[in-house]
Amino acid sequence: MKQIRAVMVGQPNVGKSSIINAISGARLHVGNFAGVTVEKKEVTLQRGENDIDIVDLPGIYSLKAYTPEEHVAKRYLIEGQYDVIINVVDANILQRNLILTLQLLDMRRPMVLVVNMVDELEEKGGKIDADMLSTLLGIPVILTSAKEKRGVDEVVEKLIEVYKQKECACKLFYNEKIEDEIEKLSHILLKSPHFNDPNLARFYVIRLLENDEEIYKIVHDLPIFLELHEALGESIKRLKLEFDADSVSDIFADERNAIARSIVMQVMIQPQKETLTDKIDKILIHPILGLPIFLFFMWALFQITFEVGSIPMDYIDETVSNFASWLRTILPAGDLNSVITDGVIPAVGAILMFLPNILILFLGINLLEQTGYMARAAFLLDGFMKKFGLQGKAFIPLVSGFGCTVPAYMAARTLKNPKDRLITMLILGFMNCSARLPVYVLFIAAFFPTTSAGNVLFTIYVGGAILGLIVAKILRAILFKGEPEPFVMEMPPYRFPSIKVLAMELWIKAKLFIKKAGTFIAGAAMIIWFLSSYPVNEELQAQYQQKIEQASSKTQKVALMNEFAAKNLEHSYLGQIGKVIEPIFAPIGFDWRLSVATLSGLAAKEVVVSTLATLYAVGEANEKSDTLINKLRENIDFKTAIALIIIIMIYSPCVAAMSTFYAEVPQWAWRAFYTIYPNVLAWLAAFGVYHLLELLGY
Amino acid sequence: MKVTQMKIGQSGIIKKITAPEPIKSRLFAMGVAKNNRLTLLDHTIKKQTWEIEVEGTRIALRKEEAEGIEVEP
Ligand SMILES: Nc1nc2c(ncn2[C@@H]2O[C@H](COP(=O)(O)OP(=O)(O)O)[C@@H](O)[C@H]2O)c(=O)[nH]1
Repeated sequence: MKQIRAVMVGQPNVGKSSIINAISGARLHVGNFAGVTVEKKEVTLQRGENDIDIVDLPGIYSLKAYTPEEHVAKRYLIEGQYDVIINVVDANILQRNLILTLQLLDMRRPMVLVVNMVDELEEKGGKIDADMLSTLLGIPVILTSAKEKRGVDEVVEKLIEVYKQKECACKLFYNEKIEDEIEKLSHILLKSPHFNDPNLARFYVIRLLENDEEIYKIVHDLPIFLELHEALGESIKRLKLEFDADSVSDIFADERNAIARSIVMQVMIQPQKETLTDKIDKILIHPILGLPIFLFFMWALFQITFEVGSIPMDYIDETVSNFASWLRTILPAGDLNSVITDGVIPAVGAILMFLPNILILFLGINLLEQTGYMARAAFLLDGFMKKFGLQGKAFIPLVSGFGCTVPAYMAARTLKNPKDRLITMLILGFMNCSARLPVYVLFIAAFFPTTSAGNVLFTIYVGGAILGLIVAKILRAILFKGEPEPFVMEMPPYRFPSIKVLAMELWIKAKLFIKKAGTFIAGAAMIIWFLSSYPVNEELQAQYQQKIEQASSKTQKVALMNEFAAKNLEHSYLGQIGKVIEPIFAPIGFDWRLSVATLSGLAAKEVVVSTLATLYAVGEANEKSDTLINKLRENIDFKTAIALIIIIMIYSPCVAAMSTFYAEVPQWAWRAFYTIYPNVLAWLAAFGVYHLLELLGY
Repeated sequence: MKVTQMKIGQSGIIKKITAPEPIKSRLFAMGVAKNNRLTLLDHTIKKQTWEIEVEGTRIALRKEEAEGIEVEP
């Protein structure tokens, strides 16, 4: 048995996932690259006496890494343990793709070139001479179509062949003057005792000439560093002078571009001008029609996500609570029973409930991405979003936020630039999610006339969105001051998506969500449950049990039970915490009940309503309950109600959402900032409005 | 002339690219390099976002990046 390890590299959208999927007899494994939230796809398969393992690296445009995905891919290419590189390129844009191929060839490692999407090229009347291309590059070339399953298994055969040869026969050279400098510098590098591979030395030198910081860090600790550093400076000076260029990167860029051009000229019969994408684009990014069409797509996506998604939601909810009740009767009574049936199962149920929403939303987003429409949406909206320091693509997670913040945080993954992604995620909570609706409905019903209810609700939603955009602008100005916000995005041609790839992506998303957020959410929900049910006050319990038993009428019994629940919550840790933090909320008119309700909203926003119901001893209640509405009117004044609405609008989202944020953002500083700033902002806003209303005489 | 001075549908050969890193490398990786042919496909109404085509690739850019690309018609 031989173990062959290969990596698959290519620019985004060349069809790597599709090829991985089309290899017969391959088993897919999904995970994360160590320490980062970048998906790692890996397939294993057997051919004859060989065990083959292919790691699919995230798509990269060039070895000059830019996004976290690209850094991961680059690091793996440089430091990872593998035998063969499989470079996938798109036949339709061969010239551009070959530039990455040339950078990879600098490594002089065993490599196979896979020219994918030949079906598209041929359909348009184009053609590629694979033999000629192979001769020019010195590596095997395979023409494939993942869509038609053409040539895919040949990739595996060639991979084994190349593995056996060990050596890369590539013989591409740059301009003589550049090669001279490379030679000189390699010589110095090879003096170092750790360094005995001339191919690797050549690669490092090329990267160093291109001012590659990651390689710089690697050679920094070598004993010959000083000598190398000096010689490097001289070489760069000479080359810049010789080629009259601003930087050596530019020289290499021109060189590679020229090589790629001449190769394409020799091996490719250019296709007739394609027109389908042109035609579709005439409509979809039409200056006037483009936006309404996009808004329609968005409307449809959210309609489906939250309408269709809510059908299994109720079903899941019911099944989970039935299961919990059944288990309650089976297990022996006591703490363990309570932990499982009141703590763990509802928490896990809460995670599962989000799953339909997430899956549908992701199916939609993947569809938008795979067909190429996502780039158009970003194109249309970028001008508007840029005003707030955001990027066109941020629109989709932001709008998803109106449904549920959890999938919205995950949707922010479509933003490849880490800063754009972070800012978007930091303001997502201001898009009012659907779980906050019951709280608003309750307070609007209690404090506003029915006629203006709609307007108030609308103001809350629009106000949240505007606040979010303003905060985005401020965050961009303060936290990322003066940094450039590049926006250079490929607009891929429109393509029919592959069902198999969609299904695979969906499966990956579902698995990662359940695994990661699941552990966080279950844990956090259990803590809240614990805080609200402990410590048990035995005395109180005995007292009320007696009273309830003695009660004569049924209504009296219920009233006593409600009172008991309220007392119990008051004495629980959560109630105690509520009392401790009461002074914090006192300036905005909250008593300890509202403080506790606000805290409990961290478990899930709709819990605020049920907590208030318990605390005002009205028992089971929803936002339409008249008793609760009356109780609120009696106990809370108008300005306090407004303050509460503002707090709910701005403060931290629920633990499910927070855990998702933590899972997506690994840096502790940002996690801390995210945990603190909305609460401070919410308090300040509520304080301001409360006192303003007070001045106005409310 | 700069890309932002072109008319929709017009094309030219790229002569010079002025942009800070990492934008320059990114442009280059997408095929925006000296001597390649560039066509202006579209821009939004307010001319904030531009769409160009270079050697078969369509690329969206902001005004700031588009201004840094010079072509010769
Ligand atoms: N016509 C055609 N389309 C393909 C082929 N391979 C992939 N695609 C499509 O190209 C798009 C991008 O493919 P994907 O595998 O997601 O690319 P990745 O980003 O490199 O993983 C999808 O819509 C695929 O269905 C192919 O060989 N022929």
